[in-house]
Amino acid sequence: MVLLGADPFLNELNKLFDKGKGKDAIYITLKRTNLKPRKSRKEHPKAKYLSLVRAQGGKKKISVQLEESSQARFSDSFGTILRAHMDSLKKREKTRTLSSRML
Amino acid sequence: MYIEDWESFAQQAEALFRSEPLRTRYVLKYQHSQGRLTLKVTDDIQCLQFATDQAADLRKVERLNNLFFALTSRGPEATEAGLQQADEPQQQQQAPQRQQQQQSQRPRQPSRPKPRRTKG
Repeated sequence: MVLLGADPFLNELNKLFDKGKGKDAIYITLKRTNLKPRKSRKEHPKAKYLSLVRAQGGKKKISVQLEESSQARFSDSFGTILRAHMDSLKKREKTRTLSSRML
Repeated sequence: MYIEDWESFAQQAEALFRSEPLRTRYVLKYQHSQGRLTLKVTDDIQCLQFATDQAADLRKVERLNNLFFALTSRGPEATEAGLQQADEPQQQQQAPQRQQQQQSQRPRQPSRPKPRRTKG
């Protein structure tokens, strides 16, 4: 699992989408974490809240840890990438019947 | 278990996330070859899933994405209304304190006294 910065992650995510088209599924996971190692029971005093974003395409896995400040910019770019690549979904079929059109 | 209705899925997902912020994860699976997008929100005890093949649902998914991003960064204080305020990142960066105070209605902290200039 490759841990990247915010911008490299977005670049790699782009590449994952491009490579995976027609072949693999792309998995994206979003989770909150406070960086506490699992085994320690004590509350880590310096633990801050981060969000972890992971992506997997085929065999390739990447991840990024985001702080609060980089959140907004990342989510904008993230949404743009998703919208650009998820284009194989069906457009809305016109299911309106004659009766509803006349109303 | 798959939920058919988007509104119901979104509400339950948000409720689940707020109740267990550290254990809940949000998974998106996109299969281009099948033209299918599946969402899953789970805390390893309860699992909510939603699947779609409609392009129209993308916008709803994006809104949910933004909501989850906000929840993971700002915690339970983030609300849908707060998201719209924070939609302009410039405002957020320039005056984060002011927004937080507006949202949580805390009394304004007194400003620090300016340092006195000494004559050189």
